[in-house]
Amino acid sequence: MSRLYERLSTAVLEGDAEKSPKLVQRALDNGLGPKEILDNGLVPGMNEVGVRFKRGDMFVPEVLMSADAMKEGLELLRPYLAAAGAKLIGKIVMGTVKGDLHDIGKNLVGMMCEGAGFEVINLGFNVEPEKFVEAIKEHQPDIVGMSALLTTTMRSMGYAIKAIEEAGLRDQVKIMIGGAPVDAPFADRIGADGYGSNGPAGADLAKQFVGA
Amino acid sequence: MKVKKTNYAVNATPKLQVFTEDEIEAIYFAALRVLYETGVRVYEQEGVDLAHSGGAIVEGIESDSSLVKIPPWMVEKALRTVPRKVVVAGPDRQYRMELYKNQMYFGAGSDTPFTIDPYTGERRRAVYQDVKNFARLAQALPNLDFHMSLGIVQDTAVGTYDRWQYLAMLEETTKPINITAVDLDGLNDQLEMAYIRLGGKDEWRKGPAFSLYIEPVSPLSHSEEVIQKLLFSVDHEIPFVYTPCPLAGATSPTTLAGTAVQALTESLFGIVLSQLRKPGAPLIIGGLMSNMDMRTAVYTYGSPEMALLSAGYTEITKWLGLPMYETAGCSDVKTYDEQAAMESAINIATAALVGGNMIHDVGYIEQGLTSSPEMMVAANETIDMVKRIMRGIPVTPETQALDVIDEIGPGGHYLEHDHTYYRFKEEIWRPQLIDRQNWEDWNASGAKRHGQRVRERVIEILEEEKEPILEEKMYKELRRICELADARHKDEELDMQLFV
Repeated sequence: MSRLYERLSTAVLEGDAEKSPKLVQRALDNGLGPKEILDNGLVPGMNEVGVRFKRGDMFVPEVLMSADAMKEGLELLRPYLAAAGAKLIGKIVMGTVKGDLHDIGKNLVGMMCEGAGFEVINLGFNVEPEKFVEAIKEHQPDIVGMSALLTTTMRSMGYAIKAIEEAGLRDQVKIMIGGAPVDAPFADRIGADGYGSNGPAGADLAKQFVGA
Repeated sequence: MKVKKTNYAVNATPKLQVFTEDEIEAIYFAALRVLYETGVRVYEQEGVDLAHSGGAIVEGIESDSSLVKIPPWMVEKALRTVPRKVVVAGPDRQYRMELYKNQMYFGAGSDTPFTIDPYTGERRRAVYQDVKNFARLAQALPNLDFHMSLGIVQDTAVGTYDRWQYLAMLEETTKPINITAVDLDGLNDQLEMAYIRLGGKDEWRKGPAFSLYIEPVSPLSHSEEVIQKLLFSVDHEIPFVYTPCPLAGATSPTTLAGTAVQALTESLFGIVLSQLRKPGAPLIIGGLMSNMDMRTAVYTYGSPEMALLSAGYTEITKWLGLPMYETAGCSDVKTYDEQAAMESAINIATAALVGGNMIHDVGYIEQGLTSSPEMMVAANETIDMVKRIMRGIPVTPETQALDVIDEIGPGGHYLEHDHTYYRFKEEIWRPQLIDRQNWEDWNASGAKRHGQRVRERVIEILEEEKEPILEEKMYKELRRICELADARHKDEELDMQLFV
């Protein structure tokens, strides 16, 4: 059976999004537990991706392919995990804030987080503060991610956080922010819980938040 | 005069070629196809309606935007009326840019959130005084021909920093300025300021004293604010830069040809819309195109792809007969160092050799997030050096100097010959910051590295005694517009706390 886990890890590492759900299905057919498939197959593959990326042996497009393979496998696995009562790593709602159409950075973080096993609800760009509030009510996420590229729109993150506070939802979620003009002191000032300087850092921060 | 030679060609300036005409044509026709078949998304109804009334197909209508498809004939029609030459002058008309094919002007980039403190070397958020300092450097450096705000003023209300940046620049420079605007209100205020500075609206009509930077969002998106600024500029005779900033591999194809096609599609839409609004409206297309670094996911400003792609795009604009907003004098370093010197030297030489017009971003480091006074001062000398190369090697009987060679003969020397005395200053470039001393003299003069000499020059310029450019009365009038804007944005004081 370890051979199947190994093949699943390899499929993730190689970014094979067709093979990974097939291998997950085969593992389930063979009677392996969903939590074991996640922990011994998908996660080790993605962990190796992280190691190789940090070492400079893998690059962003390759990491995203792996994240996609991870996501496809996980999606198939998710209902089984839920049925088995296994705790999922977490759920993230994210969006580029009001007034800003730039979303490549936010999407990158989203894909990295999916690769790390999170369920990501992407609200897109030009997201009004109230939209964040509604999304928290609807999806009950563990984390809210906000992004802005422009100095004129970075303040919208402050407004969105304020709206979340006023709706009485601030204690339910951890808030992480990112974007080119943003830095850690700014995150502190607007009352966010953390700042990620790039895609992988955003995913690492999300993992820290949920204690994974 | 007796003619004995025919078909003799001279090469007055060395040149660089990236594309052949066939390749340029292929890219242009590909862009026409994208604009017609894929279309662009427009987030402003007035722009959508204008395109539609001019013959565009409008579909994919959503609550905030529409997909606009432009048939090729609309582009060809617009290209017949768009000016081939755009002129932007400084406020007192002493300096001016005549932007057309192969005319070369260098200037700063704009709106970096951070800057390097000239005295402490610390990286911090930019304030009013920083923007003034950079404008002072630009005024003092002979190879900088236009200026932009090398820092976002972050010690005023968030929604009014654009007016303060313009004021800071007007305080220190008389060179042409390429402004940015927070929104239409900010643009309107700055236009008012320009009228005051010029001495009336009629003076503006005789020749605009700034251009406006407008940036559509790649891929193929034109935001509400972008279209509003475009229409306002056309209506008020403001020349504008319409420059997409595609990021090869992320917001445009990873292949450089594909990025050029997409960027051209984005620029052509701006041309079509401007010419529909008013035939003859002046614009400059660009301009900033580079690749994502796939290890760090940053927008690179020092990569060979940035220099190459900008050069290739310049050739496309020359073929189209449009002024080009080029990019050079920038680097990905965190503080001015050897890498900055290397990257900026390569991109400056490339931009100059290909014949870019309005070459911006001199002074940018850290992927355009930080401005560096050292980068700017060092680049001034690199540009000077490249300009020497651009002067080429004129070949005439006088420069071949056969009579002098004959006169000196084997074994003599040229040091005290009149030919040397009268020509060496013109012929041989002399650096100011580059060091060519022998080891003993270099050591005796403090054994300073290049970076240190550059830093000292920065401080020297900043501390030079100088008459103020603006008279007190003028300064107060201009400042009043900024203060009135602040008063209107008073409710943003909460936001100011977020930054300070």
